[in-house]
Amino acid sequence: MSEYAITIENLDYTYGHGVYALKNINLNIKKNEFVGIIGQNGAGKSTLLKNITGLLKPTKGEVCVMGTNTRDISVARLATKVGFVLQNPDRQIFSSTVYEEVSFGPKNLGLNNDEIDERVSFALKAVGLSEMKEYFPPALSKGDRAKVIIASVLAMRPEIIILDEPTSGQDYLGCYQIMDIAREFHRAGFTIIVVTHHMALVAEYAHRTVVLCEGEIMMDDATKKVFSRPEELLRTYIAPPQITQLGLIMKDRLGLSEAVLNIKEMGDLILEARK
Amino acid sequence: MSLIEYYPGDTFFHRLDPRVKIALLIIMTLVIFAVKNFLVIGLIFATVIVLWSSAKLPLYKFKTYFKFLFSLFVILIILQSLFYGGNTILVKPVIPDAVPLIGGSGKVTMEGLVFGFLISLRLLTLVALLPLISMTTPVHLLALGLVRLGMSHKIAYTATTTINLIPTLQAETRTIMDAQKLRGFTTFEDGKWWQKMKAYPTLVVPLVIGAMRGAQLMGVAMDARAFGTSKERTYIETIKMNTADWVTLALITVYAVAALILNFVVL
Amino acid sequence: MSDNVLIRVTNLSYRYPRTKKYVLKNINLEIKKGEFIAVMGKNGAGKTTLCQCLNGIIPNSKRGRVKGKVEVAGLDTQNSSIAMLAQKAGMVLEDPETQLFTTKIKNEIAFGPENLNYPVDDILKSIEWTLKVVRLEGFEERPPTALSGGQKQRLAIASVLAMKPEVLILDEPTSQLDPIGTLEVFGVIRDLKEKYNMTIVIATHKSEEIARFADKVLVLDNGEILAFDTPDKIFRNTDLLQQAWIRPPQVSELANYLTQQGCKIDSFPILLDQAVEMVDEILEAKRGVDGV
Repeated sequence: MSEYAITIENLDYTYGHGVYALKNINLNIKKNEFVGIIGQNGAGKSTLLKNITGLLKPTKGEVCVMGTNTRDISVARLATKVGFVLQNPDRQIFSSTVYEEVSFGPKNLGLNNDEIDERVSFALKAVGLSEMKEYFPPALSKGDRAKVIIASVLAMRPEIIILDEPTSGQDYLGCYQIMDIAREFHRAGFTIIVVTHHMALVAEYAHRTVVLCEGEIMMDDATKKVFSRPEELLRTYIAPPQITQLGLIMKDRLGLSEAVLNIKEMGDLILEARK
Repeated sequence: MSLIEYYPGDTFFHRLDPRVKIALLIIMTLVIFAVKNFLVIGLIFATVIVLWSSAKLPLYKFKTYFKFLFSLFVILIILQSLFYGGNTILVKPVIPDAVPLIGGSGKVTMEGLVFGFLISLRLLTLVALLPLISMTTPVHLLALGLVRLGMSHKIAYTATTTINLIPTLQAETRTIMDAQKLRGFTTFEDGKWWQKMKAYPTLVVPLVIGAMRGAQLMGVAMDARAFGTSKERTYIETIKMNTADWVTLALITVYAVAALILNFVVL
Repeated sequence: MSDNVLIRVTNLSYRYPRTKKYVLKNINLEIKKGEFIAVMGKNGAGKTTLCQCLNGIIPNSKRGRVKGKVEVAGLDTQNSSIAMLAQKAGMVLEDPETQLFTTKIKNEIAFGPENLNYPVDDILKSIEWTLKVVRLEGFEERPPTALSGGQKQRLAIASVLAMKPEVLILDEPTSQLDPIGTLEVFGVIRDLKEKYNMTIVIATHKSEEIARFADKVLVLDNGEILAFDTPDKIFRNTDLLQQAWIRPPQVSELANYLTQQGCKIDSFPILLDQAVEMVDEILEAKRGVDGV
């Protein structure tokens, strides 16, 4: 088996009329990486994700997921390798109970009842909603609705999990609960890709960050490296998280060589320097 | 892009007073349902297509709609052939007349077949006519036209704003179908028609919930902009019937009368 | 009402129709002319409901049980019409899509004033100045659908400003936007505060922007006011932050962490440059000790 979960070679995508939504994308993601993808709306993030999950097929170039070219496999089959949690949970809830919603995927896979039950229990446990099987999804809080959709995707048992703007419209609690679920799965060996506008979350959770700008990859490096180049990020109007900015300003005083990504790290550095 | 969304342009049809376009829609709809002759409806359909090109509307967009309509037409024609009745029997009843109650059903009649085709052609013409108005008229002018024709602003605006919602609903439908595919659901791609019918609720439920949520938010936003709060209302735009508008209205009337004469007197 | 109090809320409680639970409980609040108030709290804490009470959507178009009183610019929301209230308190919603109804930007801005039966000349003038305020000059003839998310929200702000309200209420205006859109919208809000002295109430989770612009922060939890104070007081109150599940700016979080670790902090930072000073001071103190 190859070490790569996803390989993308010279990918172009146009939505007709010759306008490039993606231009010459080369991106390889290893198994068990935690990758953040950032960029403004219209930079091509969603188009890239749709190409990875087979919802769109490349105009030019190749996309392979777990060794299979996306052109050679149906979206439904591919969904058992790569789970895609779309934006806005409300557009994806079709059932009248949480259980039905989460079992929708496994049923489509033609599994037997025991296996469906097992998968639903596993998925709901993973997102902390085991007690809510019989609830009516639209009556849940926004955070819980998002978790139901994540569980529904988990029930497909994919090895790669892609989350598109999972924290949009969520409060502080919701954001961290959702990102913690992603982190748990990363620790359990899954490959995670998160698209978000929330830089503090990227800094805190993603080990590698890809910056998209006008359909092209502008930066692709360890998150620490990406956020230590604020001038480049500014070209696409992205600012590193505030704590990282503080670190960059105090770089010389604190003798830092890399970007600081979270509060505790920064605090400990200051305490260290004080001693 | 939707077939119904405003398609900017500066053609004669775009400049036409919205009231004339509304009149065109009403008069032609009545004519389409009054006439029974294939030749006449065919002629009206051809006229609509000519008007499309005069308004520089993209004809190719009609193709995707025709694909969708085609299946509807097939169903209509089959149902009408079976159930319309009539004496010219093309296919003998599947169940012999001797059987009580359901005897004689399952026959295909010529009259039914013809009627099925007629309804289909009427619908096709009507579906081609609608975008001619909606795509050449910005909604606020359409609303203004309705108001000047005597409709209350609140109703006119609510009706025309609904047109605006259609592209949003189309986008939402695509998203929901994507979400379903991602969970292994392929009925809409490769299922049989009855499977598709059974699956429609999974598509409609999130769509309706989403639309209700959207409508509620939109209601709040409209209230915040004082919508419908006073009887008197100003309009920054004015519409005025000029000579060309009157002439066009006269031509439409002449055309409608001619079509009726052709159908009922000549043919 | 004294001259400079623009909004006064007295003992306000509210529950939605057919529900038992009050989503707002005994709210008492005064907002002065020209103040910039941020409303924080987790989802479901009552932020949206409070916003809709302040501009009279509740109880005028959403029913339910209202106790207490809300006065906006001298009008009691319970016995004033939506038309009158719309001219006092303008409201911008979260989703840029659901609040734009027309096919041309100038018609979008005209929509409110037209409904209020303003003279056409006045409306045309407002179109010009509101587009200038939100930095969309020259966009009159374009369709709103062609705008980016940030531009749409700026247009929504312009459309509300055209009704010449005295207070602008924004309910999570940037939660659906990308970073550049967020930057643009807060740029316009800053101008409204600084150049036009507009009174602003904004519900948002964006604490770093709150720290830059807000005079006071209102913290809601479970329908109740937990605190109503200056940003620095709110952001250093770690118990409050935990209870209401709100995140302060990262520099304040850092200061709170350092305090927990036994570091003494003289001036509490809520802005980046204040944090730079704080770190400097901590390191200076060390040098001082070294010197002895």
